[in-house]
Amino acid sequence: MADWGELAEALADYTVSCNENVRLRKMQRDWSRTLHFICSDTGVTFSMEVDHGEILSTPEGHVGTPDIVVTTESEIFCDMFWGDLNPVQKYLRGEIKVKGSQEDVMRLDAISYVIWPDS
Amino acid sequence: MSGVQPAPPVARALRRSVGTATATATSAGLAFAAIDYLGVVSVLAYAPGATAAVAILIGGLIVLLVSGIFSELNGLYPTAAGIRLYLGRAVGLRTSLSVTFTYMTTVVLVIAADAFLIGAAVRHMLHEPAVLGYVWIAVLLGTALTANLLGVRFAGWVQTVVTYTVLTGTVVLSVIALFHRGTAFRHPFDLFGQGSFSGIQAIAFALFLYAAFEWVTTTAEEARTPRVITRALFIAPVLIWITSTLFALALAHLVPYSRLHGSAYPQLLLGQAALGTVGEIWMLGLTVLTALNTFNGGFLVTSRFIYAAAREGNLPRQFAWLNLRAVPWLAVTTLAVVSAVVAAVVFATGQWLLLVAVGAALESGIYAIAALCLVVLRRRETRERPFTLIAGKPLATVGIVVFTVLFLATGLSDPKNARHFSAAPIAVIAVLGVLSTGYVLVFVPRLRAAAAARTAAGRPRRRPPRPDSGGAATRAEPTDPGSVTRGR
Repeated sequence: MADWGELAEALADYTVSCNENVRLRKMQRDWSRTLHFICSDTGVTFSMEVDHGEILSTPEGHVGTPDIVVTTESEIFCDMFWGDLNPVQKYLRGEIKVKGSQEDVMRLDAISYVIWPDS
Repeated sequence: MSGVQPAPPVARALRRSVGTATATATSAGLAFAAIDYLGVVSVLAYAPGATAAVAILIGGLIVLLVSGIFSELNGLYPTAAGIRLYLGRAVGLRTSLSVTFTYMTTVVLVIAADAFLIGAAVRHMLHEPAVLGYVWIAVLLGTALTANLLGVRFAGWVQTVVTYTVLTGTVVLSVIALFHRGTAFRHPFDLFGQGSFSGIQAIAFALFLYAAFEWVTTTAEEARTPRVITRALFIAPVLIWITSTLFALALAHLVPYSRLHGSAYPQLLLGQAALGTVGEIWMLGLTVLTALNTFNGGFLVTSRFIYAAAREGNLPRQFAWLNLRAVPWLAVTTLAVVSAVVAAVVFATGQWLLLVAVGAALESGIYAIAALCLVVLRRRETRERPFTLIAGKPLATVGIVVFTVLFLATGLSDPKNARHFSAAPIAVIAVLGVLSTGYVLVFVPRLRAAAAARTAAGRPRRRPPRPDSGGAATRAEPTDPGSVTRGR
């Protein structure tokens, strides 16, 4: 199980990868959302604030009212934010649970897909 | 440290979520496409006059069983990928993929049918030559394609308003038509008037009127509570029942069947008979409105399915390519082109009733499989669920038999002559099934192997090892294209 320290490190790398990807920023320029994440094994929660495609912050705990809620195991979150995992396959197997519109779910996957197309 | 893991925190409510009214409109809107007007004519072919209302009622009662089955399955797997998930858990991944691909063709058929039917209706009103049908197909699908590629999304409330307008508008015009002096309803309860099998076929085609209402389960992740989807699954069929019944009675009352049989726009004929040109324009407006739901909803659901299938390695990865508006552009374009080709073939051959028969048979087959899933998963899944179908196992078992019979009834129907049988619908389905199964058995393993090879040859794992792991992998991932595991 991954602790908050590992998750924070993964999120920091994910934030840099996302914000520095020109194509991704252009694609998501009209996407501003609040995301909540729940680790189903450790109970750790964290948030992600996205403004016009830029990840502004990834604090521990739930902040604000979510547009999307993602629930899975901490290890899957870590692998996902490091780009070592294809989230779609986990989602289609029910290992990643999402609450939110289909459009937002796709946008979230698009981040991983654009940054790491071969994952 | 105790071995008991803490319960995961409860998620906060979403900023935007779907309530019962919207979910019901989504369900009814997915089901009530322009092809439903033709579906009513198909019911009338086997159950003339007021008997059609009996068939539609029986079809609606059977659909309530479908509502119960999908409510329980959706409660177990409340996700947009639900249909894939419970099919996979019940019948295995390869079978679920094959069935899901075949299921998707229903959506393509409806999109294609609507493109053709709406074009035919507009052409009729403008008194244009028949050959312009191809132009209208291209214009309608081209517009839908462009809107989708540009990421144009209709707000949820627009779709809700459109759906309730279409249903209400059809009901109102039908009621007006019923007050006209017309032919008396003959043999109102003669469900087997066209032959001993005709009643069963009428019910099978009546089932088609409700088809695709269960696709509301793909919005499970946006629902305010799981019960929202359950309520929608039970309320939407009632709305469709009321609308279809009144439309069928009005058609039988005012328009001779000989005029309906060869027509691609029975709703315009009813409008004309009820209120003259005003009625025609009224029904044309409603027909065009159905396009909003069909093209918007149908494109969205199918293209996202294609995208997800490509991302997991079950379709060529090119179908996951995104444009700068985050739209899977190749998936959307392919969908539009395939729909246009099907629509053009339907127009050239005049076989639009065959589309209805194929769609009806496919949906009956899918419902039989869903009932089978419930029987299997009742044994395997013991966890709590928000909805449990009372006497679920026996009812689902009955459902397997009933829907299989209805599948055969529509699969062997002759769209041109209610008194004859034809293998054409079932032949089309068999071809689709063979192609789908062949693709899953032959090409999917190759795609997955290629994806695994790309992954193995690609970059090393990015996640750093834990300091206390001695350089060992932090977590062993199964070797599949969905994860990155490479030697260090």
